[in-house]
Amino acid sequence: MASNKKYWISTEELKKDTSLIDNLNQKEFMEEIPTDEFLGDKEALESSETSRRDFLKFVGFSTAAATLASCEGPVRKAIPYVVKPEEITPGQANYYASTMFDGFDFANILVKTREGRPIKIEANKEADGSTNARVQASVLSLYDSFRLKGPKYKGEKISWEDVDKNIMSALPKVYASGKEVVLLTGTCASPSTQKLVKQFEEKYGKIRHVVYDAVSESAALDAFEAMYGERALPDYDFSKAKTIVAIGADFLGDWQGGNFSAGYANGRKPESGKMSYHVQLESNMSLTGANSDKRFTLKPSEQVFALVGLYNAITGNNIPTQATPVDEAIKELAKKLKASGSGAVVVTDIQNKNAQIMALAINEALGSDVVDVVNTKNIRKGNDADVAALIKDMKAGKIGALITHNTNPVYTLSNSNAFVEALKNVDLSIAFAMHEDETAKHMQYALSVPHYLESWGDVMHKKGYYSITQPTIKPLFYTRQFQDTLLKWIGNEDSFYDYMKANFSGDWDQTVHDGFAKIAYTPEESTFERTIDINAVGAALNTIKPGKLELALYTKISMGDGQMANNPWLQELPDPISRASWDNYITMSPADAREFGLTNVTRDDGALDGDLVDLTVDGVTIENVPVLIQPGQAVGSIGLALGYGRSEGVKDEMKQGVNAYVYATKSYADVSLRKTGSIHGFACIQLQHTLAGRHDILREVSLEDYNNEAPHEWNHQHKFSYDHQEVPAEKVDLWESVDRSNGHHFNLSIDLTACTGCAACVVACHAENNVPVVGKREIRKSRDMHWLRIDRYYSSEVPTREAAKEEGLGKGDMYHGLEKAADNPQVAFQPVMCQHCNHAPCETVCPVAATSHGKQGQNQMAYNRCVGTRYCANNCPYRVRRFNWFRYNENEEFDYNMNDDYGKMVLNPDVVVRSRGVMEKCSMCIQMTQATILEAKKEGRKIKDGEFQTACMNACTTGAMVFGDVNDKESKVAQLAEDKRAYHLLDFVGTKPNVVYQVKVRNEEA
Amino acid sequence: MSHYESPYREPLILGKKSYHDISVDIARPIETRANKNWWIAFTIALLAFLWGIGAITYTIATGIGTWGLNKNIGWAWDITNFVWWVGIGHAGTLISAVLLLFRQEWRMAINRSAEAMTIFAVFQAGLFPLIHMGRIWDGYFTLPIPNQFGSLWVNFNSPLLWDVFAISTYLSVSLVFWWTGLLPDFAMIRDRAIRPFQKKIYSLLSFGWTGRAKDWQRFEEVSLVLAGLATPLVLSVHTIVSMDFATSINPGWHSTIFPPYFVAGAIFSGFAMVQTLLGIMRKVTHLENYITRKHIENMNMVILLTGGIVATAYLTEFFIGWYTGSPYENYTYMSVGAATGPYWWAFWSLILFNIIIPQFLWFKKVRTSFIWSFVISIAINIGMWFERFDIIAIVLSKGHLPSSWGRFEPTFVDIGIFIGTLGFFFVLFLLYARTFPVIAQAEVKTILKKTGQYHKNLRDTSHE
Repeated sequence: MASNKKYWISTEELKKDTSLIDNLNQKEFMEEIPTDEFLGDKEALESSETSRRDFLKFVGFSTAAATLASCEGPVRKAIPYVVKPEEITPGQANYYASTMFDGFDFANILVKTREGRPIKIEANKEADGSTNARVQASVLSLYDSFRLKGPKYKGEKISWEDVDKNIMSALPKVYASGKEVVLLTGTCASPSTQKLVKQFEEKYGKIRHVVYDAVSESAALDAFEAMYGERALPDYDFSKAKTIVAIGADFLGDWQGGNFSAGYANGRKPESGKMSYHVQLESNMSLTGANSDKRFTLKPSEQVFALVGLYNAITGNNIPTQATPVDEAIKELAKKLKASGSGAVVVTDIQNKNAQIMALAINEALGSDVVDVVNTKNIRKGNDADVAALIKDMKAGKIGALITHNTNPVYTLSNSNAFVEALKNVDLSIAFAMHEDETAKHMQYALSVPHYLESWGDVMHKKGYYSITQPTIKPLFYTRQFQDTLLKWIGNEDSFYDYMKANFSGDWDQTVHDGFAKIAYTPEESTFERTIDINAVGAALNTIKPGKLELALYTKISMGDGQMANNPWLQELPDPISRASWDNYITMSPADAREFGLTNVTRDDGALDGDLVDLTVDGVTIENVPVLIQPGQAVGSIGLALGYGRSEGVKDEMKQGVNAYVYATKSYADVSLRKTGSIHGFACIQLQHTLAGRHDILREVSLEDYNNEAPHEWNHQHKFSYDHQEVPAEKVDLWESVDRSNGHHFNLSIDLTACTGCAACVVACHAENNVPVVGKREIRKSRDMHWLRIDRYYSSEVPTREAAKEEGLGKGDMYHGLEKAADNPQVAFQPVMCQHCNHAPCETVCPVAATSHGKQGQNQMAYNRCVGTRYCANNCPYRVRRFNWFRYNENEEFDYNMNDDYGKMVLNPDVVVRSRGVMEKCSMCIQMTQATILEAKKEGRKIKDGEFQTACMNACTTGAMVFGDVNDKESKVAQLAEDKRAYHLLDFVGTKPNVVYQVKVRNEEA
Repeated sequence: MSHYESPYREPLILGKKSYHDISVDIARPIETRANKNWWIAFTIALLAFLWGIGAITYTIATGIGTWGLNKNIGWAWDITNFVWWVGIGHAGTLISAVLLLFRQEWRMAINRSAEAMTIFAVFQAGLFPLIHMGRIWDGYFTLPIPNQFGSLWVNFNSPLLWDVFAISTYLSVSLVFWWTGLLPDFAMIRDRAIRPFQKKIYSLLSFGWTGRAKDWQRFEEVSLVLAGLATPLVLSVHTIVSMDFATSINPGWHSTIFPPYFVAGAIFSGFAMVQTLLGIMRKVTHLENYITRKHIENMNMVILLTGGIVATAYLTEFFIGWYTGSPYENYTYMSVGAATGPYWWAFWSLILFNIIIPQFLWFKKVRTSFIWSFVISIAINIGMWFERFDIIAIVLSKGHLPSSWGRFEPTFVDIGIFIGTLGFFFVLFLLYARTFPVIAQAEVKTILKKTGQYHKNLRDTSHE
């Protein structure tokens, strides 16, 4: 029933006479409104300046204003410090000295932090540190969203307290059962950790510490032990070398822990008159081979025979060996080595103890000063025999507990199935891991450990060198470092920091500040007696049987041993030789490819496709391995990179390539392959591999000509006819030159002799400038975003006119001959970034003046102004401009670090993240030079030479890049710009670049 | 009767036509209903247009990455299509302005449609510089308008900015010229219109044309002035378009002969397109008596001449590139490298369609054949598209540094946008053919008694 309630407003309503109520109902106001008074006054109204129109305007305006004001922009909260930490000033970077050692790479580094976040890794130059691409990229691995974010027990989350409780009660039971406890780690060069393990033994009982390197140097370690009685690696100082013979050793890459580039470059400075002569004998085209003065291709088995042959030629012995294609050359080499005296050195990467002994014996016979067998290195300690024994014991049920740390055997062992199978017989398995990787998946406990940028640590990578790792950020996740956990388990309440400090004798604060300390030590008197019969060693080597096709595994400068596979910077870093990213593949010589009927085809969109094969080595088959045809690959050999084919703990995008570790211990000589008929897509960023006859792009001269000929003979300057006179091309100009003689004027010099192509600068540029990662699909479309690239050119072999006639080659063949690489080409690298032309072609064509020239020589990009016509990129003769084809940040299509709340933390706040549709390019790190200028201004001083830096030159280990102010006539770069080796890329175009190249000098034998 | 004309000169209007016949013939498509063929053609064109709109929307929403471009090839189909459409837009003004100044009376039958084609083609052309921008929403940065961005101003050094002015000037002058010519014809339609709505519309379109002698006098004066204004534009627009390339530094682009070579090419392609369109239109709208063999032949002769200039330019480019001896010239679009490289098909298409096929026009039989003219005009349209594609894509694919050589493949979006502009063009043209007087009847009437076949015959027989 509808309610019929009535509410009375007042008692008046009860009355019959309701005039008041009527009034109230009719009128809003009881009293008459004096409108007449207000509007009747015509005079006042007419004199009023507010007309009806104005009134409406005001109403309209205030409505619009109120509406607009209520539209609020998105609010982003920045939370200020309540109590500001003393050392943090927002906007200012702090640097901390630290050390990276992940079992594979070692580097003394400086960590740049901004507002408490590490954002970049630089080399600690005071510690003579150097960084490679992986070290540079390691900062991004800190912000990896796929990291293990807390401890897990059988896949379930568990608290650290429970972990401690469970394990501390379980461990004594294991010991009580009479089974062994094994600690399996990667190379551990930390003195404190080693001491801690000993204390652990004191508390619980014997522990078997097995050291395992994914990329093993076991042969070299065993050989050194046999020769010198100590299981370590010798150190090499290539700056002292006069003649280097490397047999398969990629010492500019990861050979025996790397870090040899700086010394190598030091020994090759043409202006000092001394330049080492470097000969490489190898099967794969390695970075080192690419830098060599002379390169011979040899199959892996032939390398062994060549080594013995070299030993014979040097010592005059006559150890029986097999013939190789280079026997004559070996004799010449031996002469050359002997003539070089103590400056001669032979290094090899043959994974055979006897071969390594042979190499050490050669160096000893030569009396080489380059090799240091006293101050040995601890950078690799893995022992393959121990690992094999461990698996056997695990299978036999002798192992009660297995603790792994900093190792991923399920991924890296060639017999990982056996390991996984044997693991089932282990009662307690504990993995200390940063990711839920292949191994952690199979262990009972997966205990999350922090990244090295969140941890304390110490490293004794070489005798007498003590380095410290210090945390630069609070752990992002629920992690606890391995050492802290061990301390906990032995009932020690100290932190590992206290523990380290207590172990250290010396000035602790200074050492933490510096990141390293040299510790005086006296080598122990050696009582070792050598019992090596070199003839027996040679005889053992002579039993090696060559295969028809042989496999040589290698590591890429990008991926290394594969532990950073989830790092998009490294995945997208092109291989310096093949220029392919996001992949591993079989490298094969053109001759073999023809024989197997395998091809590489460039598609119409510029993407490279290759045939897939099923590869069988020693009975183990990997299906669908792509083949990349590699000039310079030894005929009869194939190469395959380790570190790819990860399956656990990485994003789907990063699961690229195949796992070549399954072949690590297999016989390399038993190789067969079968074409599958399917096609694989490579992500190769360079399609043309030779200079196509344009030799003035990358100028090269032999050391002899450099020393003896006039510079214009080998550093040709283009000349134009101008006013009926021949004048240098760069003097002819349409434009009026701006006076750049006052203020700063930046130049960057790049020495093509010193550049090894290691690509550390490429990653450094990524990190400094927030360069986006675009993924394999886009790289295949030639849309990489690299601001800095390293062009790699192969030499071509074009027959002379007469030879062509004899072979019946037509003009067209001659023409296209220039486009094809020789079978064993010489290689040259050329880093190319924006050349910052003083007369920049890009600047004149931009309709909106979004790119223009700075007073200090930089060609600048105003991203906000750019409308994206791409005209500038078309008109750039160096092709260094990169267009944002899509939005590369916060876009699910590009699920890399910029689409990730953790990954975004690595972004440099000084550099803007570019939006879709704008052009970007190298800025010559203007944010860095401006900071330097401001700082000097505040301090009221002049800027010293060397203070101005860019990310690339800072990352350069070999000193190939020199940056500075050419208006400072005393500066190094000012002198280099005038050097007789200096030239501008494409000088005849008249762009007047601010990047100067130095002609490459090769120590070619006449 | 107007002045005497030689009996050897072929008549420009065939059949026995009176002034009224002309009015009826021209007004017929407007006053009758569209036939089935028109609807089929319109539907196809509309679908293509809609597809194009879809492709453009997708591009703007997602990014230029939906096209096939890459770091080395920053332009390909976009600017190819732009230059192609601008080139097509050249015949109209040439026919109506230059031929008016030269008092070529044969232009009268074709200038209306040629100019319509020009304007519609310039619409298509103008689209590409807009949508090829990475940030089209900031496109107004290219206009020199007072702004609050500080001291920012457009860069007058940039040929792209010159394009902005050249194209917009050309479009506005062409439009005004075209409309002026249309006034008496619209008035004729208006006067014939029966339905009030139609009458209203055409009286609006005719700007109140009355047909007084003063009207005609002013009409003639304005036409002459506009023709004088438009004539330099014929040369300037494509000169400036060519400077997009000529002022750059890429081998193959950086060439001083580009301006005249591009202008000749534009007229070449424009006439070919007129030929194509009229070939269809004269059949469909039964205007065979107005668009005669003589018209076709005259246009073919212009094609032959401009085609010759273009071929000479190609050979010059080829020769000079080779003669420099510079290895950087080995791979330009006119080089051995291009002829034997990955884009050999594009190179040889250009040679075949633009140099070899037009040579058949030397034969009078071919030149005066409707069907062969049509076929050859299609070939030239294709050839001229390839010319621009070759200049842009081949040159960019092999720049100075071999490390940065690349390849280009169009995506469905590239193709979709091109087809969309073709659709848009034909949508406009088909609508035009049904609503506009497609022949300048007022002008044609002025020559009826002078060069009309019937009147000529009358005159000739009377002389005998």
